Amino acid sequence: MPQYEPVLLARIHRPDSATIDSYRADGGYQRLGDILRMAPADVTNVVKDSALRGRGGAGFPCGLKWTFLPKDHPGPIYLCINADESEPGTFNNRILMEDDPHQVIEGIILSAFATRASTAYIYLRYEYPQSWHRLQAAIDEAYAAGYLGRNIRGTAFSLDIYLHRGAAAYICGEETGLIESLEGKRAWPRIKPPFPAIEGLFHKPTVVNTIETMACVAQIARRGVEWFKSIGVPADPANPRDPGSYGPKLYCLSGHVEKPGCYEAPLGITARELIDHFGGGVWKGRKAKAVIPGGISMGLMTQSELDTPLDFAGPGRVGCLGLGTAAVVVIDDQTSIVDFLHNSCRFFAHESCGQCTPCREGTSWSLRMLERIKAGKGRLRDLDLLLEIGNTMGMMPGSTICGLADGAAWPIKNAIKKFRGEFEDYIKRTNPSGWMVTDPVPALQIVGAH
Amino acid sequence: MRVLTEELRQRICAEFPKYPTRRAVTLPALHIVHDALRAVSTEAIEDIAELLELHPSDVHDTMTFYNFFRDERHPLGRDRVWVCRSISCMLRGGEELLEELSGKYGVLPGQTTADGRMTLEFAECLGACEGAPCLLVNDECHRDMDLSSATRLIDGLVSG
Amino acid sequence: MPVVIVDGQEIEIGADERLNCIEAARRAGKEIPHYCWHPGLSVVASCRMCLIETGQRDAATGKISMVPKLVPGCQTPVKDGTVIVTESPLVKESRARVEEALLIDHPIDCPLCDKAGECILQDYHFEHGQAERRADLHAFTSRKRDVGPTVTLFVDRCIMCTRCVRFTREISGTSELMVTSRGAKEEIDVFPGHPLDNKLSGNVVDLCPVGALGDKDFLYQQRVWFLKRESNVCGGCSAGCSISTEHNQDAVYRLKPRENPHVNKWWICDDGRYGWHHLHDSSRILEASRRLAAPADRDRGSLTPAVETIEWADVVTKLRDDLKAAGRLAVAVSPMLTVEEAWMLCAVARSIDPEAWLAPGFVPVTGSDESFPGGFTIRAEKCPNRRGVEEVLALYGAGGRSWNDLVAHVAAGHADAAWITGGYPGPWIDTATAESFAGLRQLAVQDLFDSPLMRLASWRLPASGFAERAGTWVNVAHRAQSFGQAIRPPAGVWPEGRLFWNMLGRRGLYDPVSVRQQIAGSSAALAALAGEMPATGVDLRIHQLA
Repeated sequence: MPQYEPVLLARIHRPDSATIDSYRADGGYQRLGDILRMAPADVTNVVKDSALRGRGGAGFPCGLKWTFLPKDHPGPIYLCINADESEPGTFNNRILMEDDPHQVIEGIILSAFATRASTAYIYLRYEYPQSWHRLQAAIDEAYAAGYLGRNIRGTAFSLDIYLHRGAAAYICGEETGLIESLEGKRAWPRIKPPFPAIEGLFHKPTVVNTIETMACVAQIARRGVEWFKSIGVPADPANPRDPGSYGPKLYCLSGHVEKPGCYEAPLGITARELIDHFGGGVWKGRKAKAVIPGGISMGLMTQSELDTPLDFAGPGRVGCLGLGTAAVVVIDDQTSIVDFLHNSCRFFAHESCGQCTPCREGTSWSLRMLERIKAGKGRLRDLDLLLEIGNTMGMMPGSTICGLADGAAWPIKNAIKKFRGEFEDYIKRTNPSGWMVTDPVPALQIVGAH
Repeated sequence: MRVLTEELRQRICAEFPKYPTRRAVTLPALHIVHDALRAVSTEAIEDIAELLELHPSDVHDTMTFYNFFRDERHPLGRDRVWVCRSISCMLRGGEELLEELSGKYGVLPGQTTADGRMTLEFAECLGACEGAPCLLVNDECHRDMDLSSATRLIDGLVSG
Repeated sequence: MPVVIVDGQEIEIGADERLNCIEAARRAGKEIPHYCWHPGLSVVASCRMCLIETGQRDAATGKISMVPKLVPGCQTPVKDGTVIVTESPLVKESRARVEEALLIDHPIDCPLCDKAGECILQDYHFEHGQAERRADLHAFTSRKRDVGPTVTLFVDRCIMCTRCVRFTREISGTSELMVTSRGAKEEIDVFPGHPLDNKLSGNVVDLCPVGALGDKDFLYQQRVWFLKRESNVCGGCSAGCSISTEHNQDAVYRLKPRENPHVNKWWICDDGRYGWHHLHDSSRILEASRRLAAPADRDRGSLTPAVETIEWADVVTKLRDDLKAAGRLAVAVSPMLTVEEAWMLCAVARSIDPEAWLAPGFVPVTGSDESFPGGFTIRAEKCPNRRGVEEVLALYGAGGRSWNDLVAHVAAGHADAAWITGGYPGPWIDTATAESFAGLRQLAVQDLFDSPLMRLASWRLPASGFAERAGTWVNVAHRAQSFGQAIRPPAGVWPEGRLFWNMLGRRGLYDPVSVRQQIAGSSAALAALAGEMPATGVDLRIHQLA
C-alpha cells in the first residue's frame, strides 16, 4: 500500500483544531478573497474538472449537480448541507464537524458562491450535540472574522449559514426528505421530477451536499484539481460513463477490529488493507466472516471478497449496493449472520418513513419474520419470502420513491444469498420439527368490538 | 390556554428571520419547548401552531413523525440516556448493555425511572462507532462503555 | 395530434392535454389500478399500485426504448410516442406484491365492514391479488375512533393513501386530518379538540378507497349492493351539484357526489349530502285537501274549519274550478320546481285566468356564499332553480318580478285567488307575511310541510321532494342539468309535474323530456335544452352567445 499523508483529517489532532486562529495558521481561508472575485461558473468548473463525487452515499458528480441549477435564476438559491449522518457505522462527518469545522465552513462558502446561494442550511442530526456546539462556535467566529455575512472579504458575495437540528430520523438523510423536514413537515421524500436543483427547498433551486464533500471542495480550492485527480482510481477508459473515483476518502472502520476509527485513504483501498493496515486486524485474532463495505444499507462482502477496492464501483462488482458512506463494519466469524440481519431489518423497519407501501410493509414484515426465525420458529420457506421482499422493494425495481428500501433490501439479499447455508442450519437447528412446514401460521382473532 | 412562557415564545420567534416561512420553524420550536418542558403537550402544540400560523394538526403530524418528542403523558426524565443498538455497537455488546441497564434500573427502553430522574432509550446509531458500544447522556457522548462504566455514569447522574 | 401507445393500441390525445398514464390508459379502455392518486388532489405516488412499464417511441425511426424499471402511472405524464404497458408479467407481479403488502396488517373484516361491495382494496384483491396469505402474522386489531360529527375512522383498515389528509389540506383548507407516527405505525388522526367538522367533511368518506372512513349517517344502514343509483342534482343550494341518489325500495340511503367538471368536480358539501332526511320526515303533508270555507269567509271563532280530502283525479278539475270561480289569479312559481314543471304551471295558470299574475316563489337565502381553497363554493341561495324559473317566467311576460312583488300584489288586493308552490325542506314563511294572503277567496298552497301560509290555505296540496321529481334545473352559473326521478313520493302524493300535466289535459304519463323539447322549441333563451342532455348539463349562456 502506497504511503498517503492525510489531508482532510490533517488537522484533527492539533490542539484547538476547531478554532479559527488555528485553522488560519494552517493556511485556511487564505485564498477565499481571491476565489470570491472569480466568476461563480469558473469555481463550478474547477469542481467539475476535479471529478469530485458526492461523499454522501450515491456518489453523484458534485460539479455536475451544481450545473443543473437554472441559469439566471433571480434567486434565492439554497444550499443544504446534509449533516444527518445516520447510516449505521458512519461517523466521518462528525469528526470533520467536531475537529475541523472551519474546513467545512470554508467549503460551504466556496460551494455557496459557486452555486450563487445566499443562504446555507446545515441539517445536523440531533445525536451530535458536540458537533452542534463546535459548528455553532465556528460559524460565530467566521461571522466575526468577516467570512460570513454581508459582502464577504469586500466582495459582492453575501452568505448566511444556519444550523438546523434534526430529530433522530434516518430518512432526513435522503435529500428531499431533508428538504421536507427543513420546511417543517414530516420527512417524506418527494417524488422526482422536479429535482431539487429546479424546485427544492421552499420551492427554490436547491443543492444538497454532504459535509465531507464540503471539506473536499475546500481542499480542491486550495490544492488544485491536479492534486485531487492524482489520488484515487482513474475513470475506466473503456466505460465512457464512469466518472472515476478520485480523491481522498474518509473510511469509518468499526465492528470487530482492534483499532476502530475514521481513517483517510485514497479511494480504492481494499477492505483487507483497511482492516489490516489501519484497523490492526480483526479483533481477538479472529477471522472476518463478513464486512459491510459502506454502511449497513450497502449489504455484505464475504471474507473472500475483501480484496475488492473500496471505490465507487468496487462494491457493486461483488453484489453490494455500492460504496455508500464508506463505513466499513467488520463482522467476525463468531457472530451469527441471523443476528446481523435481524439488526439490519430492525433498523430499517424503525426508519422507514412509511410513505410507499412496499417499503412500509416490506421492512415491517421482514423484521417480524426475522424475529420469528431468531426465536426458533423459522421455516426454510421464509428465506425465499425474504429474498422476494428484497428483490421487489426499492427505487431500483421502481417500487419506491427513495432509496431507503434498496438499503433495506441489500442486506437481506446479500446475507441470504451469500450465507444461505448458515441460515438453513440455524433454522433446522432451532426449529427441528417445523422447519419444513410451508403453511403460514395464521390464527386470526378479532380484538376489540365493533 | 397558553402554556409557553414569554421567554420560550421569544426564543421561538427569534428563529423566524432564519427561514422564509414560519412553518420551517416547526422543528426548532419543538426542540426549544421539548428541552425546556421535557415534553410537548397538546396545549404547547396549540401555542406553537398559533405562533407559526399553522393548524395544530400540522405541528402534531410533523412532531410524531420523528418518534423523538415526548407528549405530556410520557415526559422525559431529568436526564436522557440513549444506548446505541445499531450494527457497530451491537457487534460489541450494545444490545446486551441496553438490556442490562434496562434490568438494573427497572425501565424498558423508552421509559422513565419512577423518580423521574432518568429516561432510558435505544438509539439507532449515535455515530460514535469507533467507541462502540456508546451512550449519549444528554449532550455528552460516552464511548467504549460496559455495564460497570455505564452504571457508574448513570449513578453519578442520579445521585447528582 | 400526439399519439400514445397503450398495450399496443394507439390512441390520440389532445395537443394541449396534460394527462398522466392512468388517464391516457383509461382512454384506451385500460384501467390502471391505483389508490393514492385522485384527479382532484396532488400527486404523491406513494401507494405504488399504479406501477407500469413505460417507454418512448422514436418519432423518426419508430424504435421503442423502454424505461428499465417500473414507474408510477400517476406521476408519469404522457406525450407523443409514450408507450404504456399495463399488463406485463412484471406489472402484474408488482400489483400482487402491493396487494399482499397492504393486506399484511389489514383486519380483513369484510363481513362487518360497511365498505364491502364497493371497496377498492377488495376489488383489486380479486383482480390483482393472490389467493394465498403468506404473511406469518397471528393477530390483528380492528380499532375505531371518532374523528368528527360525521365520520368514524376504522384505524386498522387504513392503507395510508393519505387522500383524506390531502383533501382537508388542499380542498377544504381546514387541515383537521393528519398522519401520526411513521413507518408501519402510521395512523390517520385528528388533533385533540379539533375534530373533522368542516362543511365538506363527508367527501373524505367518498375518497377513502377502503373501509377506513365511515359515514356515520350511512354506517350499517344498508349493504351497498342493495342500493340503486339515480343521477340527480342537489337541491340544497343554487350551486346545483351533480349527485347520485342511492336508494332502495323508495327510501334514500345516501347521496354521493357525481363527477361534473363544470359544477362540483368530485365534491359536495355536508348540507347537501345529508339534506335528504326531510324526504322521509313523518310530518310531511301527504293528502290533498280542501277547506270548506274560504279564508276570506272563515269564522275566526271556530277551532278547526271543516276539511275534505280530495282525490287527485278530482283535484285536477276541482282546483281549476275553484280558482277560476274566485277571479283574478296570482301564482308563485317555486324555485324548487323544475323548468318543465314551472313551464306547465304557468300554462295551467294562464288557462285558468288568461291574465294570471305570475311571479317567482320565495327564494331562501342563508348568510353569504362560502368558498373553499379547492374552488368549491356553497351558495347562500338555498334553492336549485331560480334561474330556470326566471327564464320560464320571462317567456310568459312575467320577467323581473320577485316573491316580494307577489306578496305586495296580493296585499294590495289585486288578486282574488293565489296558488303558491313551495317544496321547501324547512320553515320559510312567517305569520306576518302569510297574513297578506288572508283576504283571498281561494288560496292553494302546495308544499312539503305545514307552514303559517299552509294554515291559511283553502287548498292544501302535498309537494314532492328533490329525489321524487324529474326534470331540469338551472344553477347559479346558468348550467342546466336534467335528471330522472330516483324514488316515488310517499303513497298518495302526485309530483307537481304529474298534476300540471293532467291539468293541461295531456294524455298518458307525465313525460318531462317531451315538455323540455317543447320549451326548447319555443324559446331562443332555452334552445340549449333541445335534444339529449349531457350528464354534466349544458350552459344556457354559451348557446345564446353562439
